[in-house]
Amino acid sequence: MNPTHTGPFRPLPDIIYADDFDCGLQGWTGLIGNYEHSLDSILPEYRDLRPPMLSNATTWDTGTGGSATGTYSMKLATRAKSRSLAVGVKRTTYPVACPLQLEMLFTFKPEASQLRLSLADVGAVGIIFDLQDAQRRVMPHLRYLNAINGELAGRWQFKQRSPTFHDIGDSGDTVSHFHLGPDGWQDLPGGDQRLCYNEIATKQNWHYLRVGFDLATMSFTALQCNDRHFDVSTLEPMTMPAMPNLWCMLNVVLFAEASADRRAFFYADSVLLSADFDAAKKDGR
Amino acid sequence: MMMRRSATAVLERNVTWSGEFATEPWEAAWAGEAMFFVRRLDGLIAPDSSAVPAPLLRARVQLSPDGIRWIDEGCSLVLNADDEMAFVRVREFGGWLRLAGTVRPGETAKVIAYLSLKE
Repeated sequence: MNPTHTGPFRPLPDIIYADDFDCGLQGWTGLIGNYEHSLDSILPEYRDLRPPMLSNATTWDTGTGGSATGTYSMKLATRAKSRSLAVGVKRTTYPVACPLQLEMLFTFKPEASQLRLSLADVGAVGIIFDLQDAQRRVMPHLRYLNAINGELAGRWQFKQRSPTFHDIGDSGDTVSHFHLGPDGWQDLPGGDQRLCYNEIATKQNWHYLRVGFDLATMSFTALQCNDRHFDVSTLEPMTMPAMPNLWCMLNVVLFAEASADRRAFFYADSVLLSADFDAAKKDGR
Repeated sequence: MMMRRSATAVLERNVTWSGEFATEPWEAAWAGEAMFFVRRLDGLIAPDSSAVPAPLLRARVQLSPDGIRWIDEGCSLVLNADDEMAFVRVREFGGWLRLAGTVRPGETAKVIAYLSLKE
């Protein structure tokens, strides 16, 4: 854990990690599709992904914007191509099946390659947990659908249905499924939200996000973005049978998708994952 | 002693270059030194008997103040037809880096390209 952590955070009692990207990438890395024998066996949708980078948010007209609480943030950058994805992942395991809370400061913008706001050029930004207990692999998916087909959307969505698994290679040990695609997203009830874009492509405002998920019940407990608290009581996470090598997995995935032939940038200033290891004792579970 | 931070980004993986190419813009303001590596993943082209190395591709390090407009830094790498890997190192590069180059006409190169950054 870094020695200081500034921001509007109210973590649960136990800190799993507190990542301040002024201290480096903190274990966040690129996503790669599974493969066997050859990189050619990666599912096509996973082939063109690059890892996160450290950004000081320098723009052509005003210079360095920095991050919300320092100089550097973690940046995910798509290609300048509609539907291009950028994905970052941090892979850990959990010590107790208990309530989790992820908080972060984030923002997103299109590449400022045109002298206009371009606010519909970022398609979506999202967060996924990738979890497994003794019975199930559970992948809670959330995204903010910013725009679709060039039109602003401005609403939160979740994905419950698991896509098809594909065998990779010939050993029978490796499978892969592309779960980040545009299909299967459902609107969160009451999930409309307008975010502060500011007025030109080079002005960034940072947003606060809080996602709660309980590993004991494998269910959502909270979604807050800025001043909005959304009802997650009806949300179901994507669930599938447990897989052979993923016990106690606790991965967090951040992603961005372009909706125009312009790079979409997602920035995370900090990522704070906290838990309540003693929750079961407190509520008599 | 403070450890020096470092990070290697895989900019291209298992991609086939032909003609003109350029890697995606990469932010590197935090780093003081950088190396690009290009490694071929397809078969090498057997050298002919002339023994003069034949460049399969040439690539220039490029800098940018904003990640949008690019200018040659001056350093470059050459990957010969019978080489598996080539590199170029660069320092004092400001905020952004990329690699731009050309594959010899009529040829292709299936590559993995890395950018290794260090404080």
